[in-house]
Amino acid sequence: MCETRILIIEDDATLSEQITQLLQARGCDTRHESDGHAGLHAALEENFDLVLLDIRLPSLNGLSLLHQLRQIKQTPVMMITASGAEQERIEGYRKGADDYLPKPFNFTEMMLRIDAILRRSKAMNSSGTQKSEMLVDVLYLNRIQQVTKYHATLLEFTPIQFKLLWMLVENKGETLSKAFLYHSVLNKPFSRYDRSLDMHLSRVRKKLVETGMPPGRLATVHGQGYRFS
Amino acid sequence: MKNKLLWRLCAFIAVGTVLLFWAIAWLTNHTETSMSFLDKAHQETLYAYGKEAEKIYLEKGEEGLAVFLKEIRAKENTWLAVLNSEMTTFADTKMLDEFADRFQIGRSPEWKIHLYFSENPVMEVPFVDNNTHFLIQLPQRMRPGSLLLATRLTLQIALPLVILSLLSFMLYRHVMTPLKQLERATKDFANGNLEARAMATMPERNDELTTLAQTFDKMAQRTSSLIYNQRSLLADLSHELRTPLARIDMAIDFVEQDINREQALSRLRYEASTMRELVEDTLTFAWLNTESPQLNSDDFDLVELINVICEDARFEYPDRTLYVDTPECASIGKSSQLALGQALENIVRNALRHTPQKSKVSLTLVSDNQNYIITVTDEGVGVPDSMLDAIFEPFFRVDKARANKTYVHSSKRSGFGLGLALAKRQVAAVGGEISAKNRINSNDIPATARTHAKGTSEKKQAGLVVTITLPKLSNAAFAN
Repeated sequence: MCETRILIIEDDATLSEQITQLLQARGCDTRHESDGHAGLHAALEENFDLVLLDIRLPSLNGLSLLHQLRQIKQTPVMMITASGAEQERIEGYRKGADDYLPKPFNFTEMMLRIDAILRRSKAMNSSGTQKSEMLVDVLYLNRIQQVTKYHATLLEFTPIQFKLLWMLVENKGETLSKAFLYHSVLNKPFSRYDRSLDMHLSRVRKKLVETGMPPGRLATVHGQGYRFS
Repeated sequence: MKNKLLWRLCAFIAVGTVLLFWAIAWLTNHTETSMSFLDKAHQETLYAYGKEAEKIYLEKGEEGLAVFLKEIRAKENTWLAVLNSEMTTFADTKMLDEFADRFQIGRSPEWKIHLYFSENPVMEVPFVDNNTHFLIQLPQRMRPGSLLLATRLTLQIALPLVILSLLSFMLYRHVMTPLKQLERATKDFANGNLEARAMATMPERNDELTTLAQTFDKMAQRTSSLIYNQRSLLADLSHELRTPLARIDMAIDFVEQDINREQALSRLRYEASTMRELVEDTLTFAWLNTESPQLNSDDFDLVELINVICEDARFEYPDRTLYVDTPECASIGKSSQLALGQALENIVRNALRHTPQKSKVSLTLVSDNQNYIITVTDEGVGVPDSMLDAIFEPFFRVDKARANKTYVHSSKRSGFGLGLALAKRQVAAVGGEISAKNRINSNDIPATARTHAKGTSEKKQAGLVVTITLPKLSNAAFAN
């Protein structure tokens, strides 16, 4: 997380102070603005890796700020909203934001999401260097042809399922958080009750197990995410 | 009958007005005719003049008559004459029979007068010989119809004016009385009296206006129940927040005084997350309850959803058995994975929480033509029959209503009695239904499930059975 520059646009002094301290403890470089216009200026004049943006702000609200910023820059933005409950409604506002984090949230959750966004934007910037095929024991994946083989058996996966498996195999042995997988595979923010990722994974695992893979290799790490080993 | 008010107005205004104008025309006509006749006394005076003239002529001759006529002319200030009408026909023509005995030049005093001629007509009294005529232009004093103008004004303007005003007033009253009641009810409601209803004070009738009042009452009912629900939700929520807040305060003291620091911190973390969930669930609940949204964006496999939820639940409750019986796959359309997932998760967790350790919760999915039916059965103590509906209300607790009962609806984390209330609204938002009943004895659970339940007592034991009915293709789709 080193040398990551994060802009925090949030008018609650206590909350932004806490976020700043915790991020700095992690080695991030932060800047804080509490006013909408000042925040937009800061976002335009410097290059940040991520903007944390509150919706309710003095002088210029977060949504119009985001709209204006997007006309010039594609800096990743994470909206901080007052309530995650009315998710369907927020979906409409979300255009342009990379994620939204409903208040209240805790730091672990926020870091997981920041991590997910940064990993994705870095992966997108260096996509040219990605490999096109992988072979782990008897599991063979080809990203260009979207082909999956276990031993010699050909497995049928949807593009999303393939992407999910690719991501897990690529980070073999590492537990990938649900927030990250939502971002990188489904291209949508994670919410607590959303089960679509679990359902995709369950299908991938079922197919692999049917062709002979031990179920434990594609493991659910409860409370954290998924891991291929 | 539909449009009752319309028909009533038609009857009143259309038929009534036509009748009114017909009556006025008839009345005017009739009055004018009756006013066109000479007064009886005047008729007699004229006849008397004629008789007198004849008598004087016969007795005193032409000179005497001339004197008499002069007298009358002076008295009545009018034109008069006596003339002879010996008529002979020629050129081979004949007189009409009716003119043979009597030919008349002027009008008989009994005839009616044309009131619209300003000139007075000439009246005639024939002599006995029928060829001599006493003619007199009607003296001005005898002319009838002096009140014609006034009568006309009265009948054609004043009378309809009064009657139509009366009619308008009656119609106004007819329409405005219920509207006034409605206005009063609306004002009351606006001033904060949530019990104000329009139908209660409405006069006995049944038309468009009472329909309006009924609609108002329906609206008032829904609005007031929403407000009451929100009030009690807010009251319950603040009540529920006090406990974790008190624990947080306590834990802070622990940290400050350096007593059992680690435990206090984990307590803090736990309480904060509990409060977060509580607030989030309450907001979701309020949203579902006030807006009754229809969620229909997803097509997915219900069995897959059930499996991932149950897998998590098994991890959370390793000391209880969760038995799942579903077909290979059960695809559902126009539904919401998010809403259904949360609902199922809450129901399964609730069942596991209320089932004693080492016993079993079973979930089955069967389908008929239109619906999937998911049944979740636990081996807990169940709920008193009278409260089977109430468990779907927010923050409901059996122990709150029945102090002696040991059953606590929400004892563990994320309980708070919101889970089932949320589930009910979420299932409704995808077009489904949810209900609960008590399991009377163990025969109620499917035979296949029972074989897994060895070791638990086969005796009579109550447990809660929650049934969810989901349309395979949600009806919510047709609403859009």
